[in-house]
Amino acid sequence: MHSILSYFLPHENNNYRAKLLHHKSLLFVLIIIFCASFLIPALRFNFPSVLGISADISSQKLLLIVNQKREANRLPPLILNEKLSLAAVNKAKDMFAKNYWAHNSPDGKTLWWVFIKGAGYNYVYAGENLARGFDNTDSVVNAWMESPLHRANLLSQNYKDVGFAIEEGKLSGEDTVLVVQELGGQSLEPVVYNPPKNPVKNVASAVSNNNYAVKGSLISPLSLSSLINKTILYIFIAVFILDMIVVERKKIVRFVGHNTDHISFFVMLIILIGILNKGVIV
Amino acid sequence: MYKKLHSHIGYGISLFLILAFGLILVSLSSPNRPLQMIEVTIVTIFYIFWGILHHLVNHDLNVKIVIEYILVGCIGLSMVLFILKGGFGL
Repeated sequence: MHSILSYFLPHENNNYRAKLLHHKSLLFVLIIIFCASFLIPALRFNFPSVLGISADISSQKLLLIVNQKREANRLPPLILNEKLSLAAVNKAKDMFAKNYWAHNSPDGKTLWWVFIKGAGYNYVYAGENLARGFDNTDSVVNAWMESPLHRANLLSQNYKDVGFAIEEGKLSGEDTVLVVQELGGQSLEPVVYNPPKNPVKNVASAVSNNNYAVKGSLISPLSLSSLINKTILYIFIAVFILDMIVVERKKIVRFVGHNTDHISFFVMLIILIGILNKGVIV
Repeated sequence: MYKKLHSHIGYGISLFLILAFGLILVSLSSPNRPLQMIEVTIVTIFYIFWGILHHLVNHDLNVKIVIEYILVGCIGLSMVLFILKGGFGL
């Protein structure tokens, strides 16, 4: 017990510096993290069903949540359209093939509406929402709802049909999941809201009742690596704080790095992990 | 302790600004992962040099302190590499 405590608390046995903060321990942690960064991709390759890149995102659930948002704003639900879904799939494949992440290709040759026309959907109104790096359906729709332009697309009276694509692939060398939403309306008349007789209240139960297949792996490697790193950082921050308090109380003079520097750096890393975990929309 | 903290306040603010600037840069560069990795590396190098410089000014710099800052910086960098490589497959 005493030897375990010496890893976390400064004491005369550990030269008044928690063993976890000794160079050897820091080097050990560094090697472990470095090796883990190579181990997880290997595990993902060998056990894709356990550690896949996609998470809990499905077209059916996207449709349900989007329609719930529309209903809450007294708008009629969008209807899943095969042609728009095909357009969305083609758009996602084009982005992976040409390695871009935008509504129009960087060379300006492929404009976003080309895919809708190409799929045979003759639109009067059309729109497109894109998302990448999200690990669940709710966060995709929430991100769209928080952005004024994407929200306007979702809650437009001009659209009657919708198509989704959820495609996995490599973009700029990074394995990612792209979500493409194509919206369309074939009439100049705005759609009219008719309150449904049996509104869907619970998305989760609606999805399971309809036996929709929700794509996903048991563990998201992004969440796993974030969790491991955050845990290590919190432990280090706690040990640095304890070290500061004990040493200050005992008035011990040491020649070591400033704990406040390391704590600041680790707090920045925790925020950074949050930023890296966040998906993006355009 | 408070006296000690007060004497380091200027240094603390400058370190905070460097780290905050790094966070803003990484956030603005999303989703360009390679660029984010470069930015984190630059911020970490700044952090190591800033720490060493501070000890140099305080006349309490030694090799062990330099190694400590390098190790802490490398742990931070390897964590970001772990997230980007382990999480996304950079």
